[in-house]
Amino acid sequence: MSKILILGAGISGHVAASHLRRKLSKEHEVVVVSPNSNYQWIPSNIWVGIGRMKSKEILFPLAPLYKKKGIGYKQAKAISFFPEGDKNESKPYVLSEYVTGDKKGQQEKITYDYLINATGPKLNFEATEGLIPGENKTYSVCTYGHADHAWQGLKALISEMKTGKKVKILIGTGHSSSTCQGAAFEYILNVEQELRRHKVREMAEIIWISNEHKLGDFGMDGMLLSYGSMTLKSYEMVEMIFEDRGIKWILGAGVNKIEDGIAHYENLEGAYKTETYDFAMLIPAFSGHDFKAFDKNEDDITEKLFKGFMIVDADYSPKPYEEWSVKDWPETYQNPTYQNIFAPGIAFAPPHAISKPRKSKNGTVISPAPPRTGMPSGITAKLVADNIIDTIKSGKESLSHKGSLGNMGAACIASAGYGFTQGSGVSITTYPIVPDYEKYPNTQGRKLGKTFGEIGLAGHWLKLALHYAFIYKAKMRPFWWLIPE
Amino acid sequence: MTQRISKYQRFKMMNPIIQFFKFIYLSLKIMIVVASGHGGTRVEKK
Ligand SMILES: Cc1cc2nc3c(=O)[nH]c(=O)nc-3n(C[C@H](O)[C@H](O)[C@H](O)COP(=O)(O)OP(=O)(O)OC[C@H]3O[C@@H](n4cnc5c(N)ncnc54)[C@H](O)[C@@H]3O)c2cc1C
Repeated sequence: MSKILILGAGISGHVAASHLRRKLSKEHEVVVVSPNSNYQWIPSNIWVGIGRMKSKEILFPLAPLYKKKGIGYKQAKAISFFPEGDKNESKPYVLSEYVTGDKKGQQEKITYDYLINATGPKLNFEATEGLIPGENKTYSVCTYGHADHAWQGLKALISEMKTGKKVKILIGTGHSSSTCQGAAFEYILNVEQELRRHKVREMAEIIWISNEHKLGDFGMDGMLLSYGSMTLKSYEMVEMIFEDRGIKWILGAGVNKIEDGIAHYENLEGAYKTETYDFAMLIPAFSGHDFKAFDKNEDDITEKLFKGFMIVDADYSPKPYEEWSVKDWPETYQNPTYQNIFAPGIAFAPPHAISKPRKSKNGTVISPAPPRTGMPSGITAKLVADNIIDTIKSGKESLSHKGSLGNMGAACIASAGYGFTQGSGVSITTYPIVPDYEKYPNTQGRKLGKTFGEIGLAGHWLKLALHYAFIYKAKMRPFWWLIPE
Repeated sequence: MTQRISKYQRFKMMNPIIQFFKFIYLSLKIMIVVASGHGGTRVEKK
């Protein structure tokens, strides 16, 4: 009998828990520890942030589902890791603290045979002074709560615009090393379309601010895309969309301080500048959760488990950009020291960025961190679950399921506006996610044809279809497992 | 605003009939990218 402990119930934690439960007999225990009582389909937060979806449409409570399916659930947060146990506990465990109910504040040693750390990122707003969702006229759409709040702010602004007020809207990244440009890209296009729907578009100046050195970098070093019968660079496609929508842009900007309606930033030229705004949605830096780890003598061994995020089977030796290789990227998401610990999704420490690193003339790193979107998060979680299942069933370690981001495709359907007949979406697929310059030297490390872009109403329908399909899958409704990650 | 997308392109992008077929085409194309699988990148040590 084995006990698998999963930390986090986001895309990767929930995918792992559901596959483990489906494929393992009931004698094996699957336990999820997560502080949020709800599962949320994060990609639809964009629509919550423009008031076109209610947050209750993108979430559901985890406890009843887990009870029905025989998955243990503790509404708690992991604090520290004891992969060898301690002087009193022989089994490995994670020290966790309950966050609600009678047990609130109580700590528990939750033991395991296998551990899946799927805690995603910490939304590190503190890394940028004054960047606080809902304060200083800045908002976020990273959680459904934040997105609800953003819509309240935007709604109030639209009312003011209707009375004749001219405004400035700033959307993009709120830190020099933020990632998730794709989410901000979706939000800026959706906001622009909503302003047109409310007939106030001409009252707003809309500005994209980003740490990317070029539009369409998306933390992926940009892409060469098949676009209809043409081959376009991703910056050309994004530039075309922004110009068409009347969106201005500021690039190579590391936002370092927010005051009420003023964003301070440094650019790659080394100049310190400011941009005023009436409404801003800025993606914060993502960081690890500052977990600590201890051995059985309770000596600190954090550096064996964490490098910000969790250490896995990647090649972390520092190298210049020219020497980066797809082979540096992990394949099994297994911690090299403790082979019963895995970290899929955003929780693993990437070996390095994907975009070429850039510094300002003052030496400040202004460059996007590597994004890890929903699809690879789901795929890596499933392969981790499959390796654990094989290991349990065969009685010996099995790591036959592999999935490097350098040998995996991803689809990203970016909403460009909501509405069944007026909506739009930018559908982009990339293969592989991390460019393989050895295999595809002439096409920027990616396979043309499998790396393509499309703009139009079909993209909106696709994004909506994915919303319903993935919530159906997450609710583990009949035949849910037939829907791929 | 600079009109970077021509009226004809916009018509094609927003026409529900054309886009219905595009929806089917994109769904299949995305399935192919997803279903073509994933794997490692390193040569197995023997
Ligand atoms: C606004 C927005 C839009 C996006 N749109 C898209 C999109 O269109 N397509 C796409 O592919 N991707 C999109 N993404 C990215 C996608 O949401 C992420 O890739 C995905 O959520 C990562 O999954 P994860 O499980 O690794 O992390 P998360 O989904 O962040 O899950 C982490 C989980 O860990 C829990 N947790 C946190 N701390 C602890 C702790 N101490 N102990 C235990 N549990 C803890 C959290 O409560 C959560 O349940 C978007 C992201 C954002 C922010």
